[in-house]
Amino acid sequence: MTAAVAAAQSDLASIVGAERVMADESARAALAVDGRVPGLVVFPQSAGQVAGVLRYAAEHELAVIPCRNATKLGVGNPPRRYDIALCLKEMNRVWHYEPADLTVSAEPGMKFGDFLHFVGRHGLWLPLDPAGGARASLGGIVATNSTGPLRLFYGAPRDMVIGMKIATTEGKIIKTGGRVVKNVAGYDMAKLLIGSYGTLGVIVEVSFKLFPLPVERGTFVIPAGRLGIGRDIRRRILESPLNPMRMVLLDAVASTLVRRGTPFAAEVKEPEIWIEFGGSKKVLDRCARELGELGKAAGAPVQRLEAASAEVVWARIGDFHGCVCEASSRVVILKVALPGAAGEEFLSRANQEAASEGIRLASFTQGGVGVIHLGLLDETSGLVALTSRLRSAAEDLGGALVVERCAPELKDRLDVWGAPGDDFGVMSKLKAAWDPKGILSPGRLVGGL
Amino acid sequence: MKSNALIRDLGRIVGSDAVLSSPEDLMLYEYDALSSATQPQAVVFPTSTKQVVGVVRMASQAGLPVVARGAGTGLSGGAVITEGGIVIVTSRMKKILEIDLENRRARVQPGVVNLDLTLAVSDDGYYFAPDPSSQKACTIGGNVAENAAGPHTLAYGVTTNHVLGLEVVLPDGEVIHTGAKYWDRPGYDLTGFIVGSEGTLGIVTEIIVRLSRKPESVETLLAVYNSVLDATRTVAAITARGITPAALEMMDGFTLRAVEEATHAGYPMDSAAVLLIEVEGLREAVEENAEQAEAVCRANHAREVRRAKDTEERDLLWRGRKNAFGAIGRISPSYYVQDGVIPRTRLPEMLAYIEEVGRTYGLRIGNMFHAGDGNLHPLLMFDARDKEQSERVVKAAKAILSKCVEMGGSITGEHGVGIEKKDLMPLMFSDDDLGMMERLKNVFDPRGDLNPGKLLPAGRMCGELRVQVSRGGEV
Repeated sequence: MTAAVAAAQSDLASIVGAERVMADESARAALAVDGRVPGLVVFPQSAGQVAGVLRYAAEHELAVIPCRNATKLGVGNPPRRYDIALCLKEMNRVWHYEPADLTVSAEPGMKFGDFLHFVGRHGLWLPLDPAGGARASLGGIVATNSTGPLRLFYGAPRDMVIGMKIATTEGKIIKTGGRVVKNVAGYDMAKLLIGSYGTLGVIVEVSFKLFPLPVERGTFVIPAGRLGIGRDIRRRILESPLNPMRMVLLDAVASTLVRRGTPFAAEVKEPEIWIEFGGSKKVLDRCARELGELGKAAGAPVQRLEAASAEVVWARIGDFHGCVCEASSRVVILKVALPGAAGEEFLSRANQEAASEGIRLASFTQGGVGVIHLGLLDETSGLVALTSRLRSAAEDLGGALVVERCAPELKDRLDVWGAPGDDFGVMSKLKAAWDPKGILSPGRLVGGL
Repeated sequence: MKSNALIRDLGRIVGSDAVLSSPEDLMLYEYDALSSATQPQAVVFPTSTKQVVGVVRMASQAGLPVVARGAGTGLSGGAVITEGGIVIVTSRMKKILEIDLENRRARVQPGVVNLDLTLAVSDDGYYFAPDPSSQKACTIGGNVAENAAGPHTLAYGVTTNHVLGLEVVLPDGEVIHTGAKYWDRPGYDLTGFIVGSEGTLGIVTEIIVRLSRKPESVETLLAVYNSVLDATRTVAAITARGITPAALEMMDGFTLRAVEEATHAGYPMDSAAVLLIEVEGLREAVEENAEQAEAVCRANHAREVRRAKDTEERDLLWRGRKNAFGAIGRISPSYYVQDGVIPRTRLPEMLAYIEEVGRTYGLRIGNMFHAGDGNLHPLLMFDARDKEQSERVVKAAKAILSKCVEMGGSITGEHGVGIEKKDLMPLMFSDDDLGMMERLKNVFDPRGDLNPGKLLPAGRMCGELRVQVSRGGEV
């Protein structure tokens, strides 16, 4: 512990209370980021305390990383510095909830599972399937704009956040947006925070618009032995009037993984399309009928799964990081974002490249969204070269690749975010405007923001 | 720089036929759909990003402000000039640069008219979802600047939900590209921050948008009420039933009579209010939702619920709604439209308050608005030639907006802050909030050359609406 950190312990205790500043080994190790262990863990209970901690940290140039359950803490460059873990677990209250208005404001430390349970009592939900699933926190979901396959129908946190309060490194609490679903007053500062990975400010309250839960759900599985079939089915579904809530193409390895421990556990031999619809019985019957015809035309039988059990699999599909890590603890996870139609071509190149390096893949493709997650299951000497070839393939197809998970020592050799674009100058100035001392999650975002 | 030298140099950049400088030509650009401001020194019509860069660089050297302008349909004074400068009109930047149906994307120049993009992809079954009532005239660049919305944004989201990337000319002439054709480009979401920034951060010269697939089926219902209260109660009840209509509009008796006389849409002349409800999607879902919506209307004492029997009847109902402002123009020499937002459950209370404001200030106020998202458009009728009446209108409008904020709402849902409401920003935002906004503005435009005098208040005290109300536009 540096002298500055040692001094900070008692100073921070005067802000949040002595029992909420921890310096013991195990508390600190639990929130290590890329092998870096913070000097202190602080557990603020209010927005004002967060602001106080940030002001203190800025004054003393101590680096802070906001966190909760660490479900996405591994994403990003290794921090340049890391003195204080700002754990928001004690900020888990709902401040404002109007079910009839379909709006809610809550604190960032609330777990997504608890939140869904809370609004579910009124038949409402926030239709996201973020990485980390029920354990993810609202703040983390928003700060990383984390999405899963539900994005196809419902969009991303970016589309659901209607306002927020942000603690700044100056120790102020500022507001942007509000609690109504439509609002164009002032600059939309929330957009900057969404997906900023904790580098600009700390979200201390976030307001969402909510959606009614679907009356019933229906999940269907279609084998897609060749990628050509996958492409054919994706096109037919997207061009049909059917409106799936979510649709994923899983390769055989991924499908076997997500089924594990569920009523549908099986060694899957070929890629599969999983697709879910929401609506009344009549709507689901129509979907079943047309999907069956569509499958027949493509030469693939369509199976309808029992809905409640299927949700268990969907939860695992949403938490693909967790699933892939069950296969291997040293796994590398890549996220590729592309114009959606290029998905199959990318996959076919990825499969070839991986095979030539002798590395097994698990792939999750969010159909119609253009986001592919790849788990690289074997750590061989060809891993770095493979990642860089996959990045080139993604870029050739008009997309980009991000390394979402890998062992800390690999991060020096794998460029986590890829090269920034011609808007990087503006991003750097924005970072300096929010965080002039560079104390928030320093260096973690693209280009070392 | 001397004025004629300026005109000559601008001509070198954009072509002499693309510069206006005579006072009678410039006069047209003193206005938008809200009000008038001052005359620019010159108006230019570039056709390319390169020309925009040239104009912006020149303006910067001459120390002149720059204002970008699309079709001038804005309702908050966003596209008029406050202290002289150059107006960049995007009407000649109207190329659709790319349509990629398989990826549901289009790349357009900012001067493309909103409806023209929809028409370009309509035969293939696609459309551009944001549908402001001025969509036949307004440009996508303008939609981006104001984060515009329309009746159908209730279900599909506003402009920002349909824009993925931008090409932007910064005030020093640097060109940047934000976002991408794909989602989640790493780094800050500059696209999301620039959409809705009212032309104060950069000049958008290219836009990547998302295209949407047309629904299989559409049902349009007209619910007729003898009481405004019953109509407003229906709005929250529909949402509470888990129905998300594509659009949910309300018109009060006064407004609908004016509309009916002008458009003969078939609205009942003797009713107190109507709701226009549209449900879209899969045939089976639409049928069920329409039935449920109808049941909710009846449970809330609708005296009649009609369904449009075909496209023609549906278009007629919508024509009435979308041309409502024009209809008001027939019966009142002037009107002033407001754009406040409230939580939708507070509608009954709010409409009662608006009525009270009308009584207090001796003004006729019509209501015609996006009820489903609580976005009000009270129409304050008056005679602008009467100075005292004009002052009363501004006071009444401020009272209504203050009430919106008090109810937890906003002073603007889709029209923007512009000149008009900038001094009301302190109603919603603290000094610290506004201070951060100012700091972020300075990141993009440290000298304040871009669209000065808009969006942010001149001082920190809550002031008045800034408007010389002359006429109205469409919402």
